[in-house]
Parts: sequence; C-alpha cells; structure tokens
Amino acid sequence: MEFRPIFLSIKHNKAIALLVIIQVAITLTVLSGSLLMTTSTLKEWNLPSGIPHHNIISAVPQFYDLDVDVRQSVVDDMARIKSLSGVINVSPASQRPFEAQGAQQVYLEATKEAQEYDTNVFTGNANLHKVLELSLIEGRFFREDEIITGKRDELSSTPPIVMISEDMAKVLFPDNNALGKTIWMEKGGSPAEIIGIYSNFMNGERLNYFGQSYRTVLQPLVTWENRNDPSYLIRVEAGMAEGMLETIRSELYKIDGRYVNRVEVLTRVQKRMYDGRGSQSIMLLVISFVLLLITAFGMAGLVSFLVTQRQKQIGTRRALGATKWDVVRYFMLENGILTSIGIIIGLVLSIAFAFVLTEDSGANILDMGYIFATAFFIIVINQLAVYFPAKRAANVEPAIVTRAA
Amino acid sequence: MFAYNAKLAFKSLNDRPSLTVLMVAAIAVGLGLFMTMLTLGHQSSKIPIPHISQQIHLVQLDNREVTADDVDNFNDMVDLTYQDTNNLLNLDIAGAEQTLAWNTYGILNVEQQEIQPQRSSVVATNHAFFSMFEVPFLYGKGWESDADQFGQAVIVLSKASNDYLFGGINSVGQQVRLNTQVLTVVGVLDDWFLVRKFYDRSYRQAGPDEAFVPSNFAFNNDLPRNARFDCWSTTNNPRKFSTNYLTELKTSECAWITFWAKLPQDNKQDYQAQLGQYIDTQKSLGRFPRDNQYFLTNINDQLIIINGSGGRQEMLGMISYMFFAVCLINAVSILLAKFMRRTKEVSLRRALGAKKRTILQQHLIEVIFIGVIGGLLGIGFTYLGLQAMLRVNLYASDYRNTVAELMPYHQMDWEMIMAAFSVSVGCTLLVGLYPIWRICNVSPASQLKAQ
Amino acid sequence: MLKMENVSKIYRTNLIETHALRKVDLHIGAGEFVSVTGPSGSGKTTFLNLAGLLETFEEGDFYLDGQNVKGLNDNQLSELRNEKIGFIFQSFNLLPELPLFDNVDVPLRYRGFNAKERKERIEEALEIVGLSSRKQHLPTQLSGGQQQRVAIARAIAGQPKFLLADEPTGNLDSLMAQQVMELLEKINQQGTTIIMVTHDDQLARRAHRNIQIFDGQVSDLAKDQTDVLIKSA
Repeated sequence: MEFRPIFLSIKHNKAIALLVIIQVAITLTVLSGSLLMTTSTLKEWNLPSGIPHHNIISAVPQFYDLDVDVRQSVVDDMARIKSLSGVINVSPASQRPFEAQGAQQVYLEATKEAQEYDTNVFTGNANLHKVLELSLIEGRFFREDEIITGKRDELSSTPPIVMISEDMAKVLFPDNNALGKTIWMEKGGSPAEIIGIYSNFMNGERLNYFGQSYRTVLQPLVTWENRNDPSYLIRVEAGMAEGMLETIRSELYKIDGRYVNRVEVLTRVQKRMYDGRGSQSIMLLVISFVLLLITAFGMAGLVSFLVTQRQKQIGTRRALGATKWDVVRYFMLENGILTSIGIIIGLVLSIAFAFVLTEDSGANILDMGYIFATAFFIIVINQLAVYFPAKRAANVEPAIVTRAA
Repeated sequence: MFAYNAKLAFKSLNDRPSLTVLMVAAIAVGLGLFMTMLTLGHQSSKIPIPHISQQIHLVQLDNREVTADDVDNFNDMVDLTYQDTNNLLNLDIAGAEQTLAWNTYGILNVEQQEIQPQRSSVVATNHAFFSMFEVPFLYGKGWESDADQFGQAVIVLSKASNDYLFGGINSVGQQVRLNTQVLTVVGVLDDWFLVRKFYDRSYRQAGPDEAFVPSNFAFNNDLPRNARFDCWSTTNNPRKFSTNYLTELKTSECAWITFWAKLPQDNKQDYQAQLGQYIDTQKSLGRFPRDNQYFLTNINDQLIIINGSGGRQEMLGMISYMFFAVCLINAVSILLAKFMRRTKEVSLRRALGAKKRTILQQHLIEVIFIGVIGGLLGIGFTYLGLQAMLRVNLYASDYRNTVAELMPYHQMDWEMIMAAFSVSVGCTLLVGLYPIWRICNVSPASQLKAQ
Repeated sequence: MLKMENVSKIYRTNLIETHALRKVDLHIGAGEFVSVTGPSGSGKTTFLNLAGLLETFEEGDFYLDGQNVKGLNDNQLSELRNEKIGFIFQSFNLLPELPLFDNVDVPLRYRGFNAKERKERIEEALEIVGLSSRKQHLPTQLSGGQQQRVAIARAIAGQPKFLLADEPTGNLDSLMAQQVMELLEKINQQGTTIIMVTHDDQLARRAHRNIQIFDGQVSDLAKDQTDVLIKSA
C-alpha cells in the first residue's frame, strides 16, 4: 500500500483535501442527525391498532338545544342506528381509540401518597367490547344491568367495577394476578374491582408518544353533561364503512336540536394520529436523499477534475509499469484516507448534534449503530464516486506522456 | 474591456455545460431549502400588530394560595378571576383601555336550510377589544359599550364565517343563531392576518375565531367556557366549570379569564400604581394572601419568552444550514474544476499582456453571473419548498385549516426575496474566493511549456 | 533484443487514414546504443511509443526480448514495461510533490520489491547519477539537468533491459546535455540497450548506430556499417 506518496500528494493539495474532509464531516452529521430524528420519531409509529378499525365508524353528535332529553335520544339513536342495514353493533363511548384525550390517573391504594399510573379511560355500554371486537383474556365482560347511565353531576356514585387491558394489567400487577383486585379511579376515592382483562387496543397520541400505547381502562358508564354528549362507535360490515357515513349522518339529524360534528371511519382518526410524525419523517428523508445525491455528484465532479489535472502523472505511472487497477486503486485510497479523516471529525460532530437534538426533544436520540451505518454508507458512496472517474482516466493510453510536450 | 471580459465569462459558462449546470443546481437547491426554513422562521418570529405591540400588555394578578409555587415569568402565571375582571373594568383608569377575552363554542346557524350549521369557536369579549387591537372590519363595526353592560344579543362575524353563512354579503343587521339564541350581526371582520393568535394566549399561527360576542351575553346565557381553571386546592374538579356551576365560578378564586390593557408609554407607571392599590384593597378583604404580585407583560416580551423553545423547527433549521454548507462546498470544488481546466489559456493571455486585474474581472463576472442565476432558481425552489411545507402542514392538521389561513405563514415577502438574492450572490462570491485566487495567480507562460 | 517485422501504425479518424508508421522492419541487438532521428511529424514519437509498449499497433509483429507482445493484454504489457523498459522523457515527468527518493521509488513499488530491496536500489541509482545527497529534496528545488538525472535514476533503478529516451537533452543547456550523455554512455557500457530519439545530429552521432525515420518509414544507417536499408511502401 503506497501511503507515503498519497500523504505527500495530499499535503501538496491541501485546499482540495480540506474541502473533501469538511464535506464528508458535515454530510455525515446531517445524515445521521436526520436518521436519528426519524427513527426516534417513528419509534412508536404505526403500531397495530388491536381493533378492526376499517369497519368502525365514529359519530360525534352534539345537542345545542339544552331541553332535549339526552337519555331518551341515546336510546333512540341506538335503536335507529342498529336497525340500519350493514350495522352490526353500536355503543355510546366517551372517546375514540386513537384520539384519547389527556391521560387520567389510577391508583393502587387509597392513600394520599399512592403512586399514580397514567391511563386512558373509555366508557360505554355492554356492547362496546363487541363493537371493538375485544377478546376476553380473563374474567368476564360487563352485563347490561351493570351499566350506569345518567347525567354526570346527577350520578350518586361511580361504577364499582372496571375492566383493564392486558398491558395495563402488566403494569399494575406485574405478577399476573390482576383479576379481582381493586384500583382507585381518583386519588383517595372511587374504588373499583377488576372483573375482567381484555385484549389491547390503541389509546391515543399522548400515551403512544411515551411508549405507553394500549394502556386503557373500561368503565360501564354512559354519561353526559351540558353540551358534552356521548359519541357513538358503530361496527359495520366489511367494506361498507365509507358508504354508510352519509346514511348515519342523516339518521342522526332526524332528532332536532343537534349538530353532528364528525362522522368518519376510524381509519381516518388513526391517520390523524400518525400524520404529524409521518410527514415530518418523510420530509427529513427527502432532504437526506437530495443531500446524498448532491454529495455524490459533487464528489464525482471533484475527482473528475483532479484526475484531469493529474493526467500527466497518471500517464507517467502507467509508463513506469502501473496497471489500470493500480491507478484506480491509488485514487480510491487517496480519497479513502480523506474520507476517513472526515468521518472521524463527522462522528464527533454527529454525537454532539445528537445531544443537541436530545435536549430539544426530550427523548434519547443517540444510537451509535445508526451513526456508524451512515458513516459506512458515506464511505461506500464516496468510493463509488471516485471509482468511475478514476477508471475513465486510467483507460487513457499511456502514450499521452510522450505526446503532451 | 468589461464587455470583452463579460463575453469571455459567458462563453466559459457554455464551455462545460454539465459543470455549470451542476454548480448552479448545487447552489439553487441548497439556497431553496435554506430560504424555505429561513422564511418560515422569519414569519414565525414576526410580532403581531408591531406598531402598538409594546403598548399591549397582558394583565395577570397573583391571587393564588400562599402555598403555591413561586413564578418568575408570565408564561407560568395564572389569569384573572371573574371578580377581578369586573373590578378592573370598573376601575376605568384614564388613558388605559382594557379588555377581556375568553373562549366559548357553539353551533352557528342561519335560516336557510341549505346551509348546514357550523360548529364555531367564539370569543367572549367587550367593545374595547376591536379598538385596542385595531381589528380590521369589512362591514359594520364592533358594538358600543352599552351592549357590554346589558349583555345584548349582538355578534361580530369573521370574514370566513360570513362567507360561509351569508355568502359574503353585507350581513349587518341580519340574524344568526348561536345554538338556540338569536343574535344580530353588527360587524363583519376583514381578513385579519394575525402573525400569532395572541389574544387568547395560544400564540398559534392561525386566523381569528369564527365570531365575537359580548362577555355578559355569554355569561347571561351560560355559554360553555373553553378554558383552564386555576383554582385553589379547596375547589375539587375545576373542570366542572366548563359547562356548569357558573354561580360558584363567579364567586370563586378560580383564575381563567385573559385580560389585556393598552397602555401608552407615559401611562404605564400610573396603571401599575392603580393595580398595586387595587390588590391592597382586596387584601384588606381577605383575598390575595401572597405578596403583592402582578404581571404586566407586553406582546414583544411575551414572544421573546415563548420563542425560547424552538423544538422541531430549530432542528430543521440547523439541518438546512448544514445542507446549504455542503452544497456550497460542492460548488467550490466544481468551480475549481471549471477554472483550473483553463490554466493554459489564462497563462497564455497573461503572456500576451493581460493584467491580473482583468483576469480577476473576467472570472468575477462569471461567478456573479452564476450567483444571480443560482439566486433566481433558488427563489423558485424556495417557493416550491414553501408550497410543499404548506401541503405538509395541511395534511398534518388533517385539513382542518384552509389554504387561505395557512398561506400567509408560508409566503415570501420582499424582504425575504432580497435576502435570498444577497445570500446567493454573497455565498457564490465566497465560494469563488479560492478558485479565483488560484486562477489569478497562474504565472504567464508557465503552463505553455510542459513543466 | 527488439525485433519489429512489418509493423504499421494506422490512425483512422472518420474518413482519413493516416499511416504513422509503414511496414517497419527493425532489429536491435542487446547492448546497442541506437539513435533515432528524423524531422518533426516523421513518426519518431510513434516509433518510441510502440517500442515502449505505450501504444498498440495494427499490423505486423513485435518481439521484445524474445517475447511476442501482440497477444498481450494491458496488465501483461504493464508488467513487461515495468520489468524490461526504462523511460526518460524530454520533460522529465517527475512527480512534483514527491521528493527524489520517492520519485525513483515509483516503478519499484509496482515491481513488488520489499522495502529493503527498494531502498538499496534507489540509493544505488542515485549514487550512479550523483544525486545521493539530495534524495529528500523536491524536484522543484533542482535544475533541469539535475531533474533529468533523477529521471535517469528512476529509469535504471529496476535494472531494465533497455532504456527509451525521448529527446533527453531537449530541455537542457549544452553543459548539462553533456553530463547526461556521459551518464547514458556509462549505463550503456554496463550492458543496457539504449534507444534515443533526438533532434540533435551531433548527439545522434555519439550512438553506435543511427536510424532515420522519414514519413513513417525507417531507414537504418549504421555508424560503422555501410548498409542502407530502405523499405518501399
């Protein structure tokens, strides 16, 4: 390996060497930064929903006429919707999967210092689990007579029973004996016995972002208050969901004094949950790709220039016995050394950049594996960018040395 | 001489078109991304109503319990209670205009059946809101102060709402229903480009709310309250106040109403003194157990504190800087390649009598030319980039905002376009420094004889 | 040593066919010192390129040190060049960023000698040309004559069977030219075959034998021979 001539050659052309080194260093930093951001953003992204979300419609009606009998209209709505052809089941629900509002806390003890556990609480009637098609892991589902219905501030008590999801059970009771235990739905109050454990379904962006997807609690409750009416989750037959949106909307409008906020398939809700992060990641990837193209072409252009400058030298070496491969190898090695120096500097910069990103976003971004992979990738691209111009130059007949006078 | 050099420069651009294209492309793409991020940042950091923003102050009174944590900036401080809002409004301090704002929501609908009701976000405020913030009106104007006093059923619609409900005509005098209440339209807003929606402290990049009603009207009709209630620990479940328990809310120590005062510079001291006095009076009634503390923060200062946290945008910003740097470095290599190919020609010209200065001029022209073309293309790319960001933001918000709403935040103004040009030409010159230096130092006839 | 039979080099561009060399018949024996002369454009350079395996030819046969070079691929040609031929150019063609030591080193590296062997050879070669004391200097720090001597050192370090010199004194003043010629003669005396292309008739006469090329044709005039070989087209 001819390191010495290469080092001397680099010393001779310091400016170009510097350009290559800086370019490699910065490219590595940008690419690895983008990659780290993207992978960390997408960590909890697009997870399985746990429910047949293509076949569930959510409707959010809202009464603006305060004199309406909400209890009766819920009953009427249920009956009306259930009778529509294509509808399999329907249940009122306080919130929708994928869109659970801020987290609620549950506790394992009644004391003031009890540790709080974040979760999302979904309430509904005895049909809710059928709409969501949850499977029963342990215990049983709610019965019809156990559902408590009424205006929120008129209720005398909270339900004495709850169901929790599989993941919630693992968090609260790591030794697997959740069934029959009691949890408190409020600090120091509202105890409830766990009568069943059901299969996981996606809660919402808040808990998902912190890696706490699927932590949910079901309460047998159908409540409302001024202007905060129950939403409906409707299970329909496969393939019929899109077509039924208008039907359901007009069905709901048959009761006066209400405004139907949104009727949509849960697929759309899911899309909203993941969209922000998805689009951000795609942007980063596009930018990275363009950068890579520019770097590759730029490097190829630079090497093209360098070999042209040194055509005479190449000819001389060939005349002295160098094979074509000797020439190509020389340039690849020279570029390889410069790239490596750039990579080392870039590694330091990348780690620093990762720290800045970590501070900014709060999640731990640094993953050396990705940084090294990016570095390796850059080396490969650079070597390829050198190979082709060098090969072209090496193919020139060595007679050029005697001709160019 | 200049014309000759220009001709040479132009010819050289056509010499190895692939290299020229590559260089212009590198600069343009890098500039495009860089300017896109810069423009977004520029729009973000603009100050709303900049000519009076320094006079507009957020008023906050610390009525919390003694045991509450200390707070050092307005962002962590609570707003005003119902009592204090009314008391301050009644104080009627000379030279100072005061207003309140809180958010409610409801269903806006009109007589015509074909126009479906629209769930709207409504601001409950007083007449001073419109004059204090210099809100632009298309038709009519805000209501008078007596409408506030009696809680009259009047309403001001945003341009978008008016377009939707009335087809954009002058609807002053017409009636509109908010849920089941009937209100009369007294004014319709013109396009109100709020750099940041400051009046409700959300600081979002969005347009105004759909409608404005007098606060007392909202109270009299128990409209729901979309707010965060900061109450003492003695109140359990503050969330209940959103839709209920209005009487209890009115007498409680729950802070939730955003309060603004417009204070011309010479009035500020006066107002502060009055606030201090007011708190003292209240203290004697047993309220305000903490040390005498109030916050008066104008819009400029608010934005400084808010903008402290960059987050996503900052990261993209940093990446775009580095991206641009890489593009420029590539441009240096390419320019070097272009110039150094011609050392023989330059050497010959020098031998034939060309001075260094003229060689410099020739290549400077070429570099500037590339900078200008790169700048033009770059501006084009910036436009595309901003459009792309607009679509991305639309998509990410699930089309809840309209293109018209988001457009102003994704536009280049003349300031930005000029900036783009200067950055392009400036950076290209920077890029050209080393290559030009190299080519100008080619000695006469040195390249003519081999070695 | 070097035998060309009926060798022709033809350049074809679009519609024009140029015969740079026509049916050259030549035999150069081991240990000879041959000069090649002729007017510009006569084909001297082409002849040199062919002799040095720098270019391929279209017709005829060429035997170098007994080996037919016609069927050899590029790698084999490179190897042959490296082992058997030493080049000396008019414009020296030293690598400007390498000190003298490393310049002489270049062909040795391609030969595959180990570090110790290379060092020995380089030092010996620099000794022969009289530049050992400046082995760490760069070419730009040397005069033209000295640079050419380094080029000679580079050419002989690998102990090639013959040297090809293209106007070796073309860029030198008469004193330096003298020194270089003396060096070449010394090397020739030690057994290396030398083929030298030159403009200078005086220098040409110092060789044992003179070959003239005119219009792509070779005519061979021996110094102490009276044969004249003229081939017709």
